[in-house]
Amino acid sequence: MTSKDILLDVKDLRIHFFTDEGVVKAVDGIDMKIYRGRTLCLVGESGCGKSVACRAFLNILRSPGKIVSGEMIYYKLTEDNQIDIIDIAKLPPKGDKIRQIRGKEIAMIFQEPMTSLSMMNTVGDQIVEAILLHDEMSKENARKRAVEMLARVGLPKPDRLVDEYPFRLSGGMRQRVMIAMALSCKPSMLIADEPTTALDVTTQAQIVDLIRDLQKQLDMSVLYITHDLGVVAEVADDVAVMYLGKIVEFSDVRTIFHAPKHPYTQALLRSLPKIALEREELDPIKGMVPSPFRRPSGCLFNPRCSKMMAKCASVEPKVTVLNENHTVQCLLYEE
Amino acid sequence: MTVNTAPTALVTPVATMSDPNHLLEVKNLKKHFPILRGIFSTVKGIVKAVDDVSFFIHKGETLGLVGESGCGKTTIGRCIVRAYPPTNGKLLYQLVNLSAVDLGKLPEKEAGPFRRDIRMIFQDPYSSLNPRMTVFEVVSEVLRVNRICPKSEMQDRVEALLKQVGLRPEYMQRYPHAFSGGERQRIGVARALITNPRLVICDEAVSALDVSIRAQILNLLEELQSDYNLTYLFISHDLSVIRHICDRIVVMYVGKVVEVSDALDLYINPRHPYTEALLSSVPLAEPEGREERSRIHLQGEIADPSNPPSGCYFNPRCRFAQEHCQSFEPQLRDMGDNHFVACHFAEQMSLRGVIH
Repeated sequence: MTSKDILLDVKDLRIHFFTDEGVVKAVDGIDMKIYRGRTLCLVGESGCGKSVACRAFLNILRSPGKIVSGEMIYYKLTEDNQIDIIDIAKLPPKGDKIRQIRGKEIAMIFQEPMTSLSMMNTVGDQIVEAILLHDEMSKENARKRAVEMLARVGLPKPDRLVDEYPFRLSGGMRQRVMIAMALSCKPSMLIADEPTTALDVTTQAQIVDLIRDLQKQLDMSVLYITHDLGVVAEVADDVAVMYLGKIVEFSDVRTIFHAPKHPYTQALLRSLPKIALEREELDPIKGMVPSPFRRPSGCLFNPRCSKMMAKCASVEPKVTVLNENHTVQCLLYEE
Repeated sequence: MTVNTAPTALVTPVATMSDPNHLLEVKNLKKHFPILRGIFSTVKGIVKAVDDVSFFIHKGETLGLVGESGCGKTTIGRCIVRAYPPTNGKLLYQLVNLSAVDLGKLPEKEAGPFRRDIRMIFQDPYSSLNPRMTVFEVVSEVLRVNRICPKSEMQDRVEALLKQVGLRPEYMQRYPHAFSGGERQRIGVARALITNPRLVICDEAVSALDVSIRAQILNLLEELQSDYNLTYLFISHDLSVIRHICDRIVVMYVGKVVEVSDALDLYINPRHPYTEALLSSVPLAEPEGREERSRIHLQGEIADPSNPPSGCYFNPRCRFAQEHCQSFEPQLRDMGDNHFVACHFAEQMSLRGVIH
């Protein structure tokens, strides 16, 4: 893949939370490339920093979180097919520049469709507001586009639904409305933060399929954040596995599931109950995710790792490039 | 742990079980909630949360109760632990002397022993533990309140059990906030097991946990089951967890049982169109062949339990629905091999499973 295909290039991003009890290194030096038209899944257990990282891409970190260092280079395609290079990390979070990217270039959908929509405004008003913020057009045309988007995400009777209030809709329908709103300005990248976690399994399947179909139709990049490895296997092109603020392994989806290299990725897959003919014994990871205030020295995973070596407790592993699309952070693979 | 609190002698009229191997028989259970409106609280409608449900649980097995939100699976669990009085129907529970008693009709005075014999593990390890009680107090509360054993013995019992569920007994005087989600769930398990129950209702007991911790708790539950000869009613929406832990499965849709089957058989050979759709929706942790996997997308929304469709509740969303389905409600029928299904056309359909 050439550099032209890169949409967002994250380099050594560090986000720390300065709390009264100490500094929490929520994201601790991650490198990540998001390619045009591909789906990257960010997977990890709760507290690994996956949500914080993607909030940083929109510069909507909540205080006391701060980007301490690193770059987030966004390659914006201008109208005359030129590429504009913007470092999102350097933009002030309340400035005009980031507002032109937020919602327009990079859109986001959240886990809780109940809390991310306003209950006081109709579905249509909320979508129209998003459109008018970024595109110059008349209110009538914006409304027309809102109806069009509602139809596109598979909602029945979109011309009636546009005047409905969100509290009258089911969870799955609300999530569809969120997607319609996010895509109404034709973003180049969609960040989906656990979009199906609060939904039932049949609804989840529909939303996952919808995001996959729309991604193909609109040729956008999708950054999909989830803890569910089943969903990862369904949607991902590439997978980044996070543990305590670091990306411990990155590769394409088939490699991650069939030839994972990092002991954490391997252990995650072994601890997954599978739907199969034979009932396999589950092999859980021992211990638990350590408190962010008491991070282990050396490799962060060493107290739970089944392949721990003596040096793991003291030496911090660096990123090892196994091949052009497979990196791992583990001392097992360092020369 | 020697004290057995299983209820034996009773004053209440004693019923009989249809099979001595059944621990619990749910017969035509109904639980309706009135919708009250206005200052006079007039009844404006009825939510049929559980509507004519029958199934049984064998001694020592794990029975899975699956369905989507609002299907009534939690309500059934709560009826069994007597948190809700049933509107109608029977909950026959077998005593140690093989006679049986109807839990729903039990007078309050006699309910005590059953509250110790049927215990519950809850979903949310954060809200289900009182933050102002130490671990010791949480786990021993039921012993203390019921004066089951002297204080001196209590300490030893709690200690032994905490060790068994994988917690360090030294931490027994700490408060729940000092523990992680997985550890709290272990405390919840200890609280459920301190009375030596025979039946444990796990209501989404692992749903709020991370993958690695979930596997730990599932293994723990299996271990404890074989150590103490426990019977589980495992309520969950997660079909891969259900596949892993259950011996038999009951599938529910809007307050009704649509299918009952042995665990593996359900995944290979579902007989109800809803089960088929449910199974096809489960994301499999296998990227190979995902393009070929076709899902059955259900049309429309889940039925409203206060205003269900006529006939079969599933008919507006069913891809096989015929006119007959709109007017006649299907009954649960025996299809042989322990497989029961509530569908008029179960014989004529060939449905796809997810295990081949």
